[in-house]
Formats: sequence, C-alpha cells, structure tokens
Amino acid sequence: MGADLGLRETPGRQAGRRRPGRPQLIRIATITVLLLFVLFGFPQLLSLYYIDTMTQVAVYSMVTLALGVLVGWVGLVSLGQVAVLAIGAWVAARLLFATTQPYPVVLLEAGLITMAAGVLIGLPALRLRGLYLALITLMFAGAITVVLATLNFPNGGHGFTGYNGSLVHIPPIRRPSVAGSDPAYFRYAVIVAILMFLLVLAHIKTKPGRAWAAIRQSEPAALAAGINTTLYKLWAFALASFITGVAGGVLAGAVHYLYSIGFPTQDSITLLAVTLMGGVYSMWGAVVAALLYQFLPALLNNWGVSADWLTILFGLGVLQVLTTAPAGLADQVPKDLARLGRLLSRRFRSPAPGKTT
Amino acid sequence: MPAWSDFEPFIVSGLALGGVYALSGVGLVVLYRATGVLNLAFGAIGAMGALIAWSLIQAGVPGWISWLACVAFGGAVTLGYGIIFGPALAKRDPLVKAVATIGLTLILYGLMDLLWTTSGGEARSLTLPSDNGGFSVGQIQVNWTQVIALAAGVVLTVGTGLFLRYTKLGTAMRAMANDREITATLGVPVRRVEAAAWLGCGVLAGIAGVLLADLVALDATTLTFLVISSLAAVLIARLRSITITFVAAIVIGLLHDLLTPITSLTNYRDMTPFVLAAAALLVMPRSQVMAQSREEA
Repeated sequence: MGADLGLRETPGRQAGRRRPGRPQLIRIATITVLLLFVLFGFPQLLSLYYIDTMTQVAVYSMVTLALGVLVGWVGLVSLGQVAVLAIGAWVAARLLFATTQPYPVVLLEAGLITMAAGVLIGLPALRLRGLYLALITLMFAGAITVVLATLNFPNGGHGFTGYNGSLVHIPPIRRPSVAGSDPAYFRYAVIVAILMFLLVLAHIKTKPGRAWAAIRQSEPAALAAGINTTLYKLWAFALASFITGVAGGVLAGAVHYLYSIGFPTQDSITLLAVTLMGGVYSMWGAVVAALLYQFLPALLNNWGVSADWLTILFGLGVLQVLTTAPAGLADQVPKDLARLGRLLSRRFRSPAPGKTT
Repeated sequence: MPAWSDFEPFIVSGLALGGVYALSGVGLVVLYRATGVLNLAFGAIGAMGALIAWSLIQAGVPGWISWLACVAFGGAVTLGYGIIFGPALAKRDPLVKAVATIGLTLILYGLMDLLWTTSGGEARSLTLPSDNGGFSVGQIQVNWTQVIALAAGVVLTVGTGLFLRYTKLGTAMRAMANDREITATLGVPVRRVEAAAWLGCGVLAGIAGVLLADLVALDATTLTFLVISSLAAVLIARLRSITITFVAAIVIGLLHDLLTPITSLTNYRDMTPFVLAAAALLVMPRSQVMAQSREEA
C-alpha cells in the first residue's frame, strides 16, 4: 500500500543522537568547503548571466527540496508545487510593496501565509490516499493559474491586489539592503537555501522523520503503531509549503518583476519530473534537480538549442527513474562512477586478454 | 445578474462539453479499474492526435481519414505505452503508475511544442463538417457537433456499462479490478485484457481530442490540461463508478459554461473542476482509506 517509489533503508535507523564519527566530520568539512566555494568563488568566476541562473538554481533547490521531502520521505506526490511557489512570490511581492519590513521578516511571513494556504488545500485530500492528493494538487495548479491570470502580480498599485494595469513606470520589487547587486543577492539566496536545508535536516533526523518513514512504508501499519498519520502528513505538507513560500519570496527579489505567465500549470509537472530524476531520497537530489530545471535550460539557451528537447528528456527520465532507478541521479551517478572506476582499475591491473570480463 | 436568455446558449455548449468530459472520464475509469493506472497523459495524447489530424487536413488529406488518424494515433500510443510500461509497473502503487504517465505527458508535450510551434502566433483550428448544420430549440441554436459530443458521452457511458456487465472481456476487466493475481490464476490472459483496456482508453483519448479541438480550441497546452476537468469527474466518482463519472462530468461542463455570462465569475470559471472536486473530497468519509487499502493489498 505504501506509496514508496522503491526500496530503501528506513531513515530513522541512523537517527540516534550519536557523536559525529570521523567520516561524518570529513563529510561536514567537505560540504563546508564546497559551500564556501559556491558563496565566494562563483561570483568571481561566473558571468552575470550565469550568476542569475545560479540564483534561480538556489531558489528552485528549495522548491525541489520541499517536493523531495513530500515524495521521498512521506510518499506524497504534489503536482502543484509551482502554484504554491507562485502564492509565496505573490504574498512576498505584495508585502514588499506595501510595507518597509526587513526582507527576512517578509520571507518568514510569505512562508507562513503560503503554509496556511497549503494546509487548507492539503487537508481534504490528506485524509485519503496519495493518488487523491496528486489529483487535487494538479487541479489546484490549474486553478491558481486561472486566479493569477485575473489577479496579476502586484506591481506597486494600490488595493488588495496591488495591481495597476495602467501604470507606466513599474517599480521593481525591492531587494534586501545588504544584497542589492546580483552577486550579493546570489549569496543571499544561497544562505536562505542553506537554512531551509538545515530545517529539513532537523526534521528528518528527529521524530517527524521517523513518523514519515513509517507512513511511507505502510499507512495502515503506521496508524496501528499509534502514529497520527493525518497530523504527520499535514505537517510534511505544511513544511513543504512553508519552504516553497520562502523560495517564492527569494524569487520575487531575484527577478524584480513577476508575471502570471511565468507560473504555468505544466511547470508543476516538469518540476515533479526533475525532482524524481534528481533523486528524492537524498538532499543532494534537490540540488541536482534544481540544476536540471534551471541551469540546463540556461545552458541550452546559450547554445541555441530548443528547450523542448529538455521536456522530452525529462519525460524519458521520469519513466527511467520509476522503472529502474528509484533513487534518481544523485544516487545513480556516484554508483555508476564507482562501477566505471572498478571496471577501469581491473582492466589496468590485469591486462591479460580474456580475463577482463 | 444576467437574464435567463443569456444563459440559454451556454446550456447547449455546457452539455456538449460535459459529454466529452464524460467520455474521457469513462475511458480513465475503465483503464484505472482494469490496470490500476490513472492515465494523466490522456489529454496530451488527444492533443497530439488532433494536431496530427490538422496537419493531414492541411496536406490535403480528406477530413474523415484525418480524424480516423487521430483516433488511431491515440490508440497506438496508449497501447504502446501500456505494453512497454504496463507490466514493468504492474505491481507498484497506483500513485507510482499515475506519476509514470506524467513521463509520457512530458514527452508528448515536448514533441508537440517542437513540431507545432505556437510561439509564431499561428492560430490553428480544427472544424468538423457537423458545425455547419443544426437545428434550433426555441431561441437556442444547436449544431450537430454539440449533439454528437453529448450523444458520444451518453452512448459510451451506457455502452461501457453494458460491456463491463455482459461480455466476457468486460467480466475479465471487472475481475482484474478486484484482484489481478487471482484473475490470472483463473486462466484469464491478464496481459491481453490489459492491452484491450489500454487500446480502448487510447481510442477514447483520440475521439475526445478531435471533439475538444473543435469545441474548445486546437492548442497543445489547452487540450493537454483539459484532462483536469475529466480527472475531477473521475475523482468525484472515487475512481470507480462510471455512472457518477458521467453525472459529475455533465455537471462540471454545464456549470463551467453557465458561469460565462456572470461578469464577476466569468474569469474564474476554469476553476470549476477544482472547486467541485475539493468539495467532494471534503464530504468523502475517511473510512475510504482503510477500505481501499485492504482492497489493494
């Protein structure tokens, strides 16, 4: 019954409060060095085009992270995550135009309001099986597209919607005072993303993570074990909506101007595809997925190749992930590289013909 | 509030739309019951079929061959997908099977965008000869396409009901909906029965594609996501009853079009399927979770 996409070990297993061992320390050190390089190396090395792209990657890594938590840890599938992102961006833009609150406060508020909206949508579907949630979120994505097309994004006008169609000089959505330039805003986005990754880490290493794992494997069994399945499913949905809402807030400042055509229904579907391809069972998968979703199109655009090829590739990727590689690229590529390495080393060590197989 | 006469034409168009949604919904339910797959690519398959039909007509091929080509394309693609990926995913959760059809949706969507680029601003349309004839009931003009759409919905719902009840293949499909393994043990060729369900679903996708391209618009995105309306009907029917699917589809189509003349709501009428489905989910009892999981265990 569990909506698990494949076989994997129970994550709660390593959740005890052990002191970090040596390999773990090395891993933390590696990640720290990598992050420092991203924060300070990237703005020096990359052109403005790719810095903007990497800001988008940082934004969408939060969205794919949130979706990855739902799909990989709880076994819920949302087909409307881009619509949730649009709500976050809308709320943040409205607050940024209406108030002079500091940016982090706006991000927090956008996250919380989006969370409330997400819970409201998820509540009826979460009582039922996973397929219903997938369907209702797909319809929700369609509905939000309709609402946005009518309501439009705030552009500095007055009233509840903050939209004024006859505005000649549209003011840009403001950025935090400490991160006005593109490289500075890139760093800002990466730091927000790191905080969101840590938030998820704090969840999956503790009680909610274990409850989610139980629900994913068998909901009736989790219920029998005394887990309030509706509460924990709702919790996961709320967490995912909160993170996506914050990402929407970061997106608003990154692009300065928001348009409703920027959040079409099909993007929600593509987003699920790249999240599955990246890998939903590790947090690296979220980064890989965001790179697939934002960096690859930017690269192809630079080369003059149509992005439609990517859509086709993502479609094939989904089918491949679901049939043969449930853990996605984040898991598959290191394994394949290790296999390749073994193959090569064997070939070099024993070059006798006929024995290489 | 607009006068009653403003609503009258939309009753007809709403019923026609509801008929096609019902036809699509029935195709989705039958496939789901027989194979456990909710085919989210239904709309994309119909859309690509309709675009192929359009290209054939542009190339000078007679209309009826082009429409048949659309239906044949729907059947072929759906059957092909079912044969390749059906067995590989047969033992997985319905959610995984549904997500896999998203892969097919994206492949078709990418292909459509690549082959029939819309960015050039080129507007396409697919018109059936039945658009020109018709009759009038009182003040309301009704064209034959609208009649065909509603009739197709009714006939296919009743026909599918009878087929499932009285034929050997239909009985096998109903048996597989209950338990695939036991059905196989009893000597039913499950793969062949599944293939039949896939083919039927694909043919319906093709028919729906032609009708919707005429009634709504010939546009890849629109047609791909019109499946949402049928999905709402299917969801209200809890993925099982074709009668409830039919009624829900008609209500969705009718309500959607009847909102058109109401100025304050007309922009939001595309939200109808979502609102109705969400409302239906709210009244659905929680016991469904346990009952259905026992069924599928």
